[in-house]
Amino acid sequence: MLSLKKRGALSMQISNFARGFFDSSSPLVPVALPSQRETHIWYIVPDEVQNTSLLNQYLKLLSSCERESMFRMSGDKLQKSSLLARTLVRTTLSRYTNCQITPRSFKFRKNTFGKPEIEWGHYEEWSPPALHFNVSHTSSLIACGVTVDKLVGVDVEEKQRKIKNDILSFARRYFSLHEVEHLHAILDPEIQRQEFIKLWTLKAYVKALGRGFSAAPFKTFTIRFRATRSDGLQVPTDLISEASEILVEAFDDPKSLSNNWQFGLLELANSHYAAICMEKENILEGKGNDFMKLKVWKTLPFVEDEYVSGTNAVKIICGLSQCLHL
Amino acid sequence: MAAVTGSSISLPSHSRLLQQNQATGLRSVSLSMQRKSFPSLGLRTVPLRFHRFSCAAKPDTVEKVCEIVRKQLALPADSSVTGESKFSDLGADSLDTVEIVMGLEEEFGISVEEENAQSIATVNDAADLIDKLVAKKA
Repeated sequence: MLSLKKRGALSMQISNFARGFFDSSSPLVPVALPSQRETHIWYIVPDEVQNTSLLNQYLKLLSSCERESMFRMSGDKLQKSSLLARTLVRTTLSRYTNCQITPRSFKFRKNTFGKPEIEWGHYEEWSPPALHFNVSHTSSLIACGVTVDKLVGVDVEEKQRKIKNDILSFARRYFSLHEVEHLHAILDPEIQRQEFIKLWTLKAYVKALGRGFSAAPFKTFTIRFRATRSDGLQVPTDLISEASEILVEAFDDPKSLSNNWQFGLLELANSHYAAICMEKENILEGKGNDFMKLKVWKTLPFVEDEYVSGTNAVKIICGLSQCLHL
Repeated sequence: MAAVTGSSISLPSHSRLLQQNQATGLRSVSLSMQRKSFPSLGLRTVPLRFHRFSCAAKPDTVEKVCEIVRKQLALPADSSVTGESKFSDLGADSLDTVEIVMGLEEEFGISVEEENAQSIATVNDAADLIDKLVAKKA
């Protein structure tokens, strides 16, 4: 039932045509629910959304509260980003209800930890799926992660993100000793910067998680990477690129965070790092092959969806495995 | 950059605000609607519910914070940054906020605990915190 278009000359023509002549739109394409251990990511690139009537169509999907928030942002660019983030959430979730729940009709509330979640209505002949979602944005990419039954978290950062402060000063102030040593040991400044961004993406996310439970300051937990040797043994490693597993240790409770959450890091659209985090199942840990499975789509809602898993747009760094086919 | 028109938006109605106004006598929006009947002296004697009128931070501090925020977020010179500006509305993400706090620590020679940093949402919040920490140092 899926009718996703692959990028090719024909689809480019169709997109351009649709972009120029935008009166009606194609309906949203429904998508099968993620299975257990699967995370779906949908992302949108704001710079590729220029059509005013399309943006106005998106505007109609937002609640009045969301519109007010959006107009409070200062400047067109931030407002557009806010609009697209809400559009992405609403349209993405709608797909998983077989489009029975329209993007406009979703309601949201904040859970006890301040995390937004879906507030389902009452439906006579239909049970809503236990969907969880999380959205993250930078000025150049907005991503939404979706799972079923398990909590999910997504954090994206631009690969090219420059920080104003000196990296090591920043790290000494906010990161753990182990992480500072890891960064200090990297001689190439560009690689050091990229490693910093990868670490930050993971840390900022974990921190957001922790906020609901213990509001741990940055320095009280450390991110470690574990690689699986050819003999199957898992050993610590400093190289993110070699790691198969990301561990998070809190100093006062070494096991707490990693017991319940699984982390993965990937490169998206050649331009961003994305950290993904999913609640673990309450079963005994497997032997390191229990990666989270990933499916990724790039979307321009009502215009075009593109399944990009297995293409250059998705590069696993660690902790994840891609589903190459739908 | 595409401009999103506001023509299809319904503005929040003010009638609710006017009703609440009866109880407190003071809401910044209703002030402009009830100016005629509200004696200006009342402003200082009635307990204020909106912090924007009771910000204790020194104007100098607020200005320095605005400057640091502008730099960190690379805001255009004509964009408005005031004491009431919310970091998130200016487009600051978590990394920006942490960097801003670092910049403030350097500028004012203070050290900000992470729990305090987390509660900073506006320029005024930051300025208030800085004034407190600077005063403690002295």
